Amino acid sequence: MTRQTRRQLSAVARHAVLSLWLIVTVFPIYWMVATAFKLPEQWLAWPPVWFPSPPTLENFAQVWVGTSVVSSGDQVLPPISLEPLHGLRNSVVIAGTATLLSVAFGLLLAYGVSRYQILSERRMFNLLMLRMMPPIVIAIPLVLWYSTLHLLDTWVGMIVVYTIFTLPYSVWMTKSFIDEVPVELEQAAQILGASKLRAFAIIVVPLIRSGVVATCLFILILTWSEYLLGLVMTAAEAQTLPVQLSKFEGTQEGRQFGLQSALSIGVTIPLIVIGLLIHKHLVRGFSFGMIRRR
Amino acid sequence: MNKAPAARKGGLFRWGALTPLILALGFLLPVLLLQIYLSVHQWTAYLGPWWAAQFVGLDLFREVLTEERFLRAVARSFIFAGASTLLSVLVGFGLAYLMQDPFRGRSFYYMLFIIPMLTVPVVVGYNFQMLLYESGPVNHILSLLVPGEVRISWLGHPVAAFASLVLIETWNWTPFVMIVMLAGLVSMPKEPVEAARVLGASRWQIFAHVTLPLLKPVLVLTLILRFLEALAEFPKFWTLTQGGPGTFTETIPVYLYLTSWDYFNVSKAAAMSYVVLLFVGVIIYVCIRALLRQKRALDIMFAQEGSGR
Repeated sequence: MTRQTRRQLSAVARHAVLSLWLIVTVFPIYWMVATAFKLPEQWLAWPPVWFPSPPTLENFAQVWVGTSVVSSGDQVLPPISLEPLHGLRNSVVIAGTATLLSVAFGLLLAYGVSRYQILSERRMFNLLMLRMMPPIVIAIPLVLWYSTLHLLDTWVGMIVVYTIFTLPYSVWMTKSFIDEVPVELEQAAQILGASKLRAFAIIVVPLIRSGVVATCLFILILTWSEYLLGLVMTAAEAQTLPVQLSKFEGTQEGRQFGLQSALSIGVTIPLIVIGLLIHKHLVRGFSFGMIRRR
Repeated sequence: MNKAPAARKGGLFRWGALTPLILALGFLLPVLLLQIYLSVHQWTAYLGPWWAAQFVGLDLFREVLTEERFLRAVARSFIFAGASTLLSVLVGFGLAYLMQDPFRGRSFYYMLFIIPMLTVPVVVGYNFQMLLYESGPVNHILSLLVPGEVRISWLGHPVAAFASLVLIETWNWTPFVMIVMLAGLVSMPKEPVEAARVLGASRWQIFAHVTLPLLKPVLVLTLILRFLEALAEFPKFWTLTQGGPGTFTETIPVYLYLTSWDYFNVSKAAAMSYVVLLFVGVIIYVCIRALLRQKRALDIMFAQEGSGR
C-alpha cells in the first residue's frame, strides 16, 4: 500500500466515523422538526412516519396562535389551554434582565480581580461552588425564603436567582477576556489623569466588546434553558417557556407529540442560533474561561 | 500576571465591585440558615407556619441516613454521573482526536456536533420520549434490523430506562467534551510529538506517552465539570421517567424533588438536602483543589491567545 492510498483510506475512515456520529447527533433534532409538521394521525402511527406528508403548519398555529388553520373536517385539534406567548414574554424578560445584570456585575468583579486582585485565586475558585452545587439542594429553603419575601412567582424573584447562579460563569468568562488586554494601556490612561473606572470604561470595555457580547449570549443560553428553579419557584404568573413546555403534557389527554414538538422548536431554536453564532466562545464559557479556542 | 502593585487595594472601586457579590451571599445566607432550621424541626406545610414547627433534633438525619431508598438514590446518581461522564469523554475525545488536523468539512461537522448541548434540556427529554416511544423510530429501526417486530417499552423497563437516560445524557454532553478536548489538542505544543516521531515512537506510544500527559489538565477539568453537572441533572429525569418505573431511575435530585413537592415532607427533604450538601460539598472541594492545581498548566497552555479576537 502506498502512502497516498493509506492517507486516502484514513480520510475515508474519518469521514465514515464522523458521519455516523452526525446521524446520531442530528436525528433527534430532525425527528422533532418532522413531528412538528405532522398531522395528528401520524404522531403515533406504526410504522412511524419518517417524512411528514403533506407537511402541515397546523401544530404551530394551534400552539403559538391558538387557532386552527384547517377550517373544517376531522383534522381540527382539540383546543389547548396554553399561553406560550405569556411564557415567551416571561422568558424574555427574566432571562434577558438576569443576563444583563449578571454580566454587568460579573464584568465589574472580573475587572477588579484581574487588575486589583480584589478576590484571591482561591476565592475565585470557591465562587465556582455556587455553580457546582446541585440547585435542588437549596431549592426547599429558597422557596420558603421567597414565600416569606413574597417573591415567589414574580419576575424580580426569578431575575435575582438567575443573576446569582450565573454570576460565577460571567465573572470567570469576562475575566478571561480582560486578562488578554495588556495592562499598560490603562496605566497610560491613568497617567494621563483618567480614574480607574474611566480607564476601564474607555480602554478595556471597547477592546473586549465582542467578548462581552459572547458572554451575554452564553449566559442567556443558561438562563433561558434553566428548568428546576423555574419549576419550583413559578406558578401561573412568571412561568418560563421550558416550564410551560413541561407542564404541557400533564394537562393533555394522551401524547400530543405534534403540538409538543411545535412548542419545543420555538423554545430551543433561538438557543441553537445563538450558540452557533458564538460557537468560538462556547469552550471558554463552559470551562469558566479556563480553556480557549484558537 | 497583570499586577498593578501601587493600586493593589483598589480603594472605592474594590468595594463597588464587591457589593453585588456580598449582596448575593447575604441573600443566600438566610436560605442556608432556614435549611438548618428545617432539618432539625418536623414541619408539615398544611399544619401551621414553619416557625411553629416541632423541634426533633437529629431524628430526621437518622431517618435519612438509614433509609434504603435514599442510599440507593445516592448510589444511582453516582453510577449515572460516572457512566455518562465516561461515555461522553470516550466519544468526545475520539471525535476531537479525529478532528484535530484541519480538513475539508471540519467546521461543518463542528457546527452540527455542538447542537445537542445547545438544546434546552426539557426539549431533549421530550425528543427522546418521542424516539423511544413504543411505536417510535428507535423500535422501527430495530424491527428492520432484526427479524420480527420490536416493540420495546424503553422507559418502562428498569434497566432499559436507566441505560437510556445514561445514553441520552451522553448524547447531550458529548459535544462539551469534544469542543474542550479539541481546543486542548489544537493548543498543545507540537514539538514533543514531533520529537517523539523523529525518535521512532509508534502512533500509540506517542498518544499514550506524549499526547495524553500533555492533555492531562484539560482532561481533569473536563471530567470534573461533566461529573458534577451530571450529578445535578434533573430535567431529563423529570420529563422522561420521574424516577420510574418504580424507583429504578430515581437519583438524588429526583428523590429530593418528590419528597418535598409530591410527598410534602419538607423537613425530611431539608435534612436530605443537608446530607447531600455536605457530601457533594466535600467532593466539590476536592475537585476545586484539583482544578486549582491544573490552572497554572492551563494558563500556560492557553496563554498566547490575545490575537484570536
